[in-house]
Amino acid sequence: MNTLLNKVLLLQNTQALVCAVSSVQSQLLTTHMALGVLLTNRQYRSMPTHGIGKYRHLLPKALPKKKKDRVQVKQIKAATATEFGVFNVCVSGYDMTLVEHYSQYIHNLCNHLDIKVDESYALPTKSTEVMLMQEQGTKMYLDAVLKTHERIVQISEMKATLFPIFMDVVLKNQPEGVRFCVKQHSETDFQARFKTRPELEGLLAKINN
Amino acid sequence: MAAPFNRVYRPLWRIITTTTLNKVVRNVSSTRRQWSAGVASPWALHGAVCLQRLPVVSQDRSPIEESFIELMRQMELERSLLSDHELRLLEDAARMSRKQEEDYDSDEEEEDYRDKEIVTAQDLEDIWEQKLKQFQPAPRSQGVDEKDVSSSERCLAESLILLVEKDVGSQKLWLLPQIQWQTGETLRQTAERALASLPGADLKATFLGNAPCGFYKYKYPKDIQKEGGVGAKVFFFKAVLSSHKHLPLEKKSFAWVKKDELQDFLKPEYLKQVRRFIMAL
Repeated sequence: MNTLLNKVLLLQNTQALVCAVSSVQSQLLTTHMALGVLLTNRQYRSMPTHGIGKYRHLLPKALPKKKKDRVQVKQIKAATATEFGVFNVCVSGYDMTLVEHYSQYIHNLCNHLDIKVDESYALPTKSTEVMLMQEQGTKMYLDAVLKTHERIVQISEMKATLFPIFMDVVLKNQPEGVRFCVKQHSETDFQARFKTRPELEGLLAKINN
Repeated sequence: MAAPFNRVYRPLWRIITTTTLNKVVRNVSSTRRQWSAGVASPWALHGAVCLQRLPVVSQDRSPIEESFIELMRQMELERSLLSDHELRLLEDAARMSRKQEEDYDSDEEEEDYRDKEIVTAQDLEDIWEQKLKQFQPAPRSQGVDEKDVSSSERCLAESLILLVEKDVGSQKLWLLPQIQWQTGETLRQTAERALASLPGADLKATFLGNAPCGFYKYKYPKDIQKEGGVGAKVFFFKAVLSSHKHLPLEKKSFAWVKKDELQDFLKPEYLKQVRRFIMAL
């Protein structure tokens, strides 16, 4: 009732403001516009065009930016009777192209056989200096620098029945000059990837002493 | 592959068993209990080992592969930038040509040139070439006759399987090494025992897993069947030869064969089952 009265009053007001308009349609339009602007109680929720301009609900949910947490130690799954736990397939060698291609081959094979690959990472390159004794004298001189590259593919929840087949395929396709081994994943392996913090260790040692 | 087939098959089996009547189910369970109590199965169990010698060298390339590799090498060479050593070679060559000119002034050269004057890049290259000539790569084949099946050094580019000639009943057959299962041991231990019991062989092998890779079932001939035992079931386990150097085996009873040579040695039925799990590169 109140709203109806408001409408009537407003109609009178707008008629005074707007110039003489003949058609009913234009009158209705102007009254609608005026209603939208002046009315505070939202009667138009029932209108079919309600919320026509809304778009915020269509955007992806933008989470508040959180700071990077410390990388958590993942729970290493234990082996069950039919499945292996988490194990690392290490590929290492002097020739980087061979090592990388072989590790990529293993990763693709796992994807193809639906074997779950947890992680696939590289360990830092180790440089070995080959020093030879000089013919005359006792001084050693640098002959060559050999770099050992290592790539690791971490596999979890592999079925025990599939494992011999997988190993067979991988061993038969091992290239020359590439070392291949399978190791159980452990906490120490995970921690070995992190950099050492000498100041922290120094302070800890001071506290303990 | 066997795995997806099993996945489809199992739900069907479950549906069938759940829809059977309770009576039938109870009967089945009672007979199962009876069976585990002491009734022996008429089938004898055997464990066998599929010992493989892995390829030592990579396979030779086919002509198409060779030409493609050459093409890729050339493309990579043409697209690459000059390395430090190659730049030094060019600089030295330019310096030599400048030295030959009449109005050459050695003070105009750069500071760090004086160290490199003694040993030029070309000298280094010559030294390295000399060293390369002294290097002897290992031979790609050990010089063993390719047809000699008793040597494990043949066909280094392919994987070989060990076969044993055994007396089965009245005839001599070529088989994968197998031995009868004894109570109280796992089938994998049976396979390990089969490998260890080979006469005259000191083979160190790594078994690839506890799960068998293949299965073969055969019935005894009629006259032996009356003594008890319908036949035998053989479970195969895969193993990889770990030590390459071992004493040469007796020529007559052992053979290292490739997958395509298996048909010359094995019986057709046996071959059909064995072929399923042997993988040639």
